[in-house]
Amino acid sequence: MPLSFPYVGTFTYVFESIARGMKRDDVIVPDEPTYRTKQLGSQHSSEFVCTPFKMLLGSIIEVIEQGAYEIVSTVFVDYCRLGYYSPLYQIILDDLGYEFDLIVLDWFDKVEFFTSFKKLASNVNAVQAFQAFRVGWIKNRYIDQIDKTLYTYGATEIEKGAAYKVAHKLYRQVVETDGMKNIRMLPKIIEKTFADEVEIDEELKPLKVGVVGELYAVVEPAINLDIMRRLNDIGVITETPITFTRWIDLGQRMNPFKKWHYKACIKHAKPYVRYPLGGKTRESLGAIVEYKEKGWDGVIHLYPFTCMPEIISRSIIPQVSKEHDMPVLSLVLDEHTGEAGIQTRLEAFVDLLERKRNDGNGF
Amino acid sequence: MLRNQNNKVKIGIPRALLFYKYSDLWITFFEDLGAEVIISPKTTKKIKAEAVSLAPDEDCYSTKLYFGHAMALKDKVDYLFVPRFGGRKKNLVGCPKFIGLAEVLRSMIPDLPEILMPHYNRGMDKNTRIGLLIKAFRLGKIITKNPFVRMRAIRRAFKAQKLHQKLVVIDEKTLKKWENSEVILNDFPMYAENEKQLKIALVGHSYVLNDPYSSLSIRSILQGYGVDIITSEQIPRKLIEKQMAKLEYDLYFDFEREILGTIMHFLESKTVDGIIHLLIFSCGPDSIAGEIAARFSKRDSAIPLLQLVFDELTAEAGMRTRIEAFVDMLRRSIDDQAILLTMKAHI
Repeated sequence: MPLSFPYVGTFTYVFESIARGMKRDDVIVPDEPTYRTKQLGSQHSSEFVCTPFKMLLGSIIEVIEQGAYEIVSTVFVDYCRLGYYSPLYQIILDDLGYEFDLIVLDWFDKVEFFTSFKKLASNVNAVQAFQAFRVGWIKNRYIDQIDKTLYTYGATEIEKGAAYKVAHKLYRQVVETDGMKNIRMLPKIIEKTFADEVEIDEELKPLKVGVVGELYAVVEPAINLDIMRRLNDIGVITETPITFTRWIDLGQRMNPFKKWHYKACIKHAKPYVRYPLGGKTRESLGAIVEYKEKGWDGVIHLYPFTCMPEIISRSIIPQVSKEHDMPVLSLVLDEHTGEAGIQTRLEAFVDLLERKRNDGNGF
Repeated sequence: MLRNQNNKVKIGIPRALLFYKYSDLWITFFEDLGAEVIISPKTTKKIKAEAVSLAPDEDCYSTKLYFGHAMALKDKVDYLFVPRFGGRKKNLVGCPKFIGLAEVLRSMIPDLPEILMPHYNRGMDKNTRIGLLIKAFRLGKIITKNPFVRMRAIRRAFKAQKLHQKLVVIDEKTLKKWENSEVILNDFPMYAENEKQLKIALVGHSYVLNDPYSSLSIRSILQGYGVDIITSEQIPRKLIEKQMAKLEYDLYFDFEREILGTIMHFLESKTVDGIIHLLIFSCGPDSIAGEIAARFSKRDSAIPLLQLVFDELTAEAGMRTRIEAFVDMLRRSIDDQAILLTMKAHI
């Protein structure tokens, strides 16, 4: 039965690697979400459910139409709706009359997780299945590394778009590399390829902007209208601490000496929001302080429309921004967000940052 | 510090959100400690106008109203009581806004009186019942240092809450009686002559059902049409849990279980003529439960379900028309009269 999964930014490459590791040759790789995906998703969901729900639903319908039968998804208890997406997808897709099997991985019940996971990997034994998962989380690190390097090179490249071409080539290379020995060589290859193939203007002193916010809004270019690339194109280095590493990377999670960025952020956010309340609320607030201490110029905060936890951070951000003298731009995103609106706001924000750097006062 | 003649500390509690569920607990606790409890007035146009201008745009309507109620208490009290409530049972959560509200208020309106924000979360955090008692004990220190008075206040508060729960939630026997038209649980419906009696389940959050302003006095509208209602608050917990067990995955939004459970119960038992579901615009949990309810109702459409979405722009006339149409439709289907949708062209 053909296996597939909804499209989630560059994390799709990790999914693909895991499926490859499980020796499944009937994997249907989802396409990047288009206008049609958004339309399909909104058509079949409740009007004020959050945008990631609609986009992922659209993506699932598209892969089912392409012939997928087994769809990977997840369920967990959380403060926000994210944990209950799959049960609702099951109901909606049943009503639409599609034939499919939603394989729900319960992330908080590790035994249950690997049992369901093993169900997917019928071609291999348990050890190989776990190994495939391990390769997945290791490759996830290198995908993150490509992203990070790309957002740095993209700002100062001489020939526009060169870094993106290299990055796409490297994503594929990461997915297709087999064997632990070769995989371990990847970081060096990534570094070298970027240095060799992308010509950069070393005299430029680009602005640096951190991008934080809700997970899906940050990692999925289709919902944030490729905000990273837009910022790169106006000559700004970007970075995001929001990746899947903290959940999927069991190797790093078991390492007690690993310094997690989000844990530092949560410490900074303590005076504003003390207790966990879902989403990336505390991280978004703390990251403003964290980036200020690192000497970055500004922060962009992204969240989908009607996202419950991020509305709280958006309400408190003005105070944090004022107290730490750090410019923050909050952007709400939904399926109707227009390109021109985003572009204008980004340009205005970057102009403000530039002036702030030059005269020490943005206003 | 501002003290009135009796030298009592004044505690303000906004009449919004969780107040409608835990009012007895909080009021008894503070009054027993010897504080004066001031509750904000019922929602008015002025409170709403202030709320809408102050609150963040994307917040749900009920949360916005909370801002208005807090502002109404601003200059009248020494302390504002805004608890951070996460959930009362393991793996059941409320809404993240209940946890963040106190901090948002503090950040957005700096000149508010000091906010008392005890945190309690059994859903995802590792708080225990004993922890709740300790927190309440510590909270009481602001008003009185006497530990015995504080202990007594806690005991009485929980007793009052238990009593409140007993009064609101009916048992299965009473539900049976209501279904057989032997008792009336809410306001007496104004029956007109020669009219069939209608039974409607009114489903929604307790802070919508019990706030006539934000629900556009839907209860009295229904009363006027001679409809006997039962609210989702009143349904026995046992029935709700029974319905929830039918879902493939446990719904972890605590207050939504009550709503979805009620709808599923009546869709199955078919003992009411119709269900009216009140949703609040941009309420996260509502969007999930509302969608599930709508889908289940479509699969088994014997009992009609009307979903009404409320926000600050909802007008009464529109709401009234829809309810009227719904009630008329129910009456006709009971009388076994076909609903003729005829078109008449007036030239």
